[in-house]
Amino acid sequence: MSDLTSLGAAAAAPAGAVPAAGVDPALASFIYTEARLADEARYSEWEALWDDDAKYWVPMHPDHDPKVNVSYIYDNRRRIRSRIAQLNSGNRHSQTPPSVLRRLITNLEVVAQDADTTTVAGNFVIYEYRFDLTVWAGRYEYRIRARGGDLKLAAKTVHLVNAGGPVSTMSFLV
Amino acid sequence: MTELDTSAPVGVGKVDVAALVEPDRVHGSVYTSQEVYDQEMDRIFRNGWVFVAHDSEVPEPGDYVTRRIAGEPWIVVRGKDGEVRVLANRCTHRGNRLCNADAGNSSSFRCPYHGWTFSNDGHLTGVPMRDGYGSSFHEVRDAMGLAPAAAVDSYGGFVFASLNPPAITLREHLGNSTVALDRLLALSPTGELNLRAGWMKHDMRCNWKMVMENNVDGYHALFTHASVYDAVKPAKVSHVPSKVEVYVRDLGNGHSEIDYAKEYSRLDEEFIWFGRIRREKLPNYVAAMEEARGAEDTHRAFVVGPPHTLIFPNLFLAEMNIMTVEPLGPGRAIAYTTPALIPGADEVNEKTLRRSEGAMGPAGFLIADDGEIGARNQLGLAAGSPEWVVLRRGEESDITDETGIVNHDKSAETPQRGWWKHWSQVLTGTTTAPDA
Ligand code: FES
Ligand SMILES: [Fe+2]
Repeated sequence: MSDLTSLGAAAAAPAGAVPAAGVDPALASFIYTEARLADEARYSEWEALWDDDAKYWVPMHPDHDPKVNVSYIYDNRRRIRSRIAQLNSGNRHSQTPPSVLRRLITNLEVVAQDADTTTVAGNFVIYEYRFDLTVWAGRYEYRIRARGGDLKLAAKTVHLVNAGGPVSTMSFLV
Repeated sequence: MTELDTSAPVGVGKVDVAALVEPDRVHGSVYTSQEVYDQEMDRIFRNGWVFVAHDSEVPEPGDYVTRRIAGEPWIVVRGKDGEVRVLANRCTHRGNRLCNADAGNSSSFRCPYHGWTFSNDGHLTGVPMRDGYGSSFHEVRDAMGLAPAAAVDSYGGFVFASLNPPAITLREHLGNSTVALDRLLALSPTGELNLRAGWMKHDMRCNWKMVMENNVDGYHALFTHASVYDAVKPAKVSHVPSKVEVYVRDLGNGHSEIDYAKEYSRLDEEFIWFGRIRREKLPNYVAAMEEARGAEDTHRAFVVGPPHTLIFPNLFLAEMNIMTVEPLGPGRAIAYTTPALIPGADEVNEKTLRRSEGAMGPAGFLIADDGEIGARNQLGLAAGSPEWVVLRRGEESDITDETGIVNHDKSAETPQRGWWKHWSQVLTGTTTAPDA
């Protein structure tokens, strides 16, 4: 159930994506802030970025349907709150001490837009140091909503390149 | 070499496994020695019953999934006769891995290397440019089908195989653990399960036995999982032994469990094990259950809930999840977990999926920390002294009854003592008959 037999599929960007030049600097800045808070284990500040209808999703395959398939993470707003409370407890052993993390996000594109919500996608690499150096990579997709004068994260999907597994312990904010 | 490479040096002479296990302690090298590991792969995984797949993963003729057992590639496939076969995933020509997908449907498998073709019951059916083999090839061709596992049998949809001829039948191996399988199936109106939601694959940096033993360790939760109980939600029932009717049980043959049935029955409350959901929230499921099983049995199934039972060596009935473990060396294993879904019960299944993600797998609130503790255990065991791991807890309060060896203290190490006793018997070849 591993190696070649379990290669997942790459998440494809829809046709007509707007290239980097088209991504509003405020959106890019929001994305980089989210990444930095996750990297630096600033859990409560990270949690505050989320909107009420939040969906934080790490599927095992881009074509999976959360109604019929199990995911690595499929958090609603309440589950995000619990996840953060657990991390903040100081007893989440797999993040005590927190992994040392730095991530790079690139190839940002606007892939959908409606009245108040923009969907931005891009590629990422995360370097995680815990017992040893682990490299994570994949594609992020963010749904970012303008609310009042603020931006809020409505959804974040993480398509890991190794979602086909096996996957190391992933209790940091991916 | 990274910090996690903790396996002992190879080639230190033939390990005497019998000397590594005593009734109330085991030698630390059972987790770290390559030689012990090699013996386990031979005695436990190649010469005994192991869980390989579930019926629902291959429901139709031609459906297959690929698996590894003791590092060897296997295909679990349902033939057009409806029979599930376990076939070596290795071309009989020059050894190429034949089937290279996780799962699929096919009436035959064609080797990508030189094009030999095998029907899904294992027969060699096609050899390109056959003339090149001369006339005697016909005589050997019939014997060149895919190598089957020596024995395949199932219980309640759970398919097990023994790669070499087993000393006992599957039913003899399962012994008292069929009670746990029945308890799980009693939650399904049809008595069937659906294990098609996908397997989470968690790379564990510890010995495979650490993964399995920990699943029936009732001592660790308050500490390992303090962050869940403190910050997220309280435990479903008290952890204080004198306050609850929660038992641990060595079922024999290496199987063991943590059993909440008596406590739940005492409280006579349905679904304590399922977030204390009210049955009104699951109207279609309740109706289907009552129609199939009657009101009384339905109520009982909802009260006692699913099993928390380990079936030696590689299957864990994790309440509404199924876990299996694949050893990858003394210090590495993959834990595979999938939710136990109930055919037709969508209102239950969506909750089961979300609960599964919450608890299990590499990002789960529970198992991520169990994996971390496993990795640290492996690091600790690299110490040469002290040499032994102590399993005495509850030894003097164990009671033997018709269900096995029972202890009325969830934190007793009764399941671990049962595991190691059986493990030692299998590795030293001193069990050929059921020891339940
Ligand atoms: S190895 Fe399969 S056909 Fe040659
Ligand atoms: Fe645990």
